[in-house]
Amino acid sequence: MRKILTVLGLIIVFLLIYFFQVNFFSSFTIAGIKPNLFIIYVLFIGLFANQVLGISLGVIFGLIIDFLYGKAIGPSAVMFCVIGYLGSYFDKNFSKENKMTIIFMVAGATFIYELGVYFLNSIILVFEREMLYFIKIVLIETLYNVLLSIILYPIIQKIGYVIDRNFKKNNILTRYF
Amino acid sequence: MNRNKQTEILGGIITVIVLILLIFLSNVEVNKLSYLESAASSIINPIQRVFIDLRNKIQGNSAYFSNMETIMQENEELKKKNSELETILREFEMLKAENTTLQEYMNLTDKYSSYQTIPAYVINKDVSNFSSTLILNVGTKDGIRENMTVIADKGLVGHIISVTENTCKVQVIIDSASTVSSSISTTNDSIICKGTLENDQILRASYIPTGAELIQGDSVYTSGIGGIYPKGIVIGTVKEIITTSNITDRYAIVEPAVDFSKIDTVLIINE
Repeated sequence: MRKILTVLGLIIVFLLIYFFQVNFFSSFTIAGIKPNLFIIYVLFIGLFANQVLGISLGVIFGLIIDFLYGKAIGPSAVMFCVIGYLGSYFDKNFSKENKMTIIFMVAGATFIYELGVYFLNSIILVFEREMLYFIKIVLIETLYNVLLSIILYPIIQKIGYVIDRNFKKNNILTRYF
Repeated sequence: MNRNKQTEILGGIITVIVLILLIFLSNVEVNKLSYLESAASSIINPIQRVFIDLRNKIQGNSAYFSNMETIMQENEELKKKNSELETILREFEMLKAENTTLQEYMNLTDKYSSYQTIPAYVINKDVSNFSSTLILNVGTKDGIRENMTVIADKGLVGHIISVTENTCKVQVIIDSASTVSSSISTTNDSIICKGTLENDQILRASYIPTGAELIQGDSVYTSGIGGIYPKGIVIGTVKEIITTSNITDRYAIVEPAVDFSKIDTVLIINE
């Protein structure tokens, strides 16, 4: 029951983030580059909840974004699936308490996601890849995402541990000792 | 320990199944999934419309003067009419030019003698930095179909890539995956205009014939080759010609006639 409520809550938070991204961050940009809150969100679901939830919610959110904006159906879904998995992989191997690891996780996830989506799109839609400009945009976006995650981390952590408790009752202590 | 291994294997299997599904999904034609798209957009877009209304209200906060609203309404109608008239004017100019050069093919011009257009509002824009699509407030209900051409008051905007019952998705010409076959007004040389990641306000014109002489300020029109865009719609003007050591590699920067950052009303050509 608790798990179902948490999942519903996560979906509602996704909608909130969606409207925030569309209405606020479309004009609040660094050098014309928007951040991507969805990457941070899916990464943190993978980090705090479990692998299955991270992957499945990643796929669902990716599909919604593909349906609403995508030129092809699939790239975002595949890459959010990867980010969900990456979140749970990071959870097993790194500490969530340290700000430095969080910075590297968000930066890595943003870079991998955008690279994957760009490549998949270029394969499906067949267009020329412009790597230089791509890297320039990705670096600014990564920086923006990292800044946002540093600012938002205290809130994410508080909510995250509530979710963590609901999904990983047994192994929360044994992992560290 | 054993259980952990089991869940790990299960997780692995689920991941593989999901990935296979996704590969399958990404290869399925988008049309066949339009009911899913309809569902997604019917959940999101009504709420999004409320936000758009709110934003419009905040932006037009002087509207509490009693007659302001009617003036704004009138203004809106006039703007729409103006854009329609401008397209008609442009089309008229094009026809005139065509007439003088192609007098012997008089019957051909009949095909483009009149564009019937459907007006639409932009209700949403892409959230990604690497692509630009627009969502419009018209759909199959209003007679919109895939591959219809979208124009604005000043020129070409793009074409429709998918339609739901109430909304449709437009791929804009500045999108990095978009290519438009076009020709230059003065010399009629054909070039290809591509969107680029370099800047979202320019197009890159490549495949310029080696014998062609480009002049800064030349107008660029759609050539009608390719089957999506009809002939003779303004794309923009040549802003800069970049010559490289090899003449076949040279390209030009084309400035689109439409300002895509401020676009809010468009017309869809109903062929």
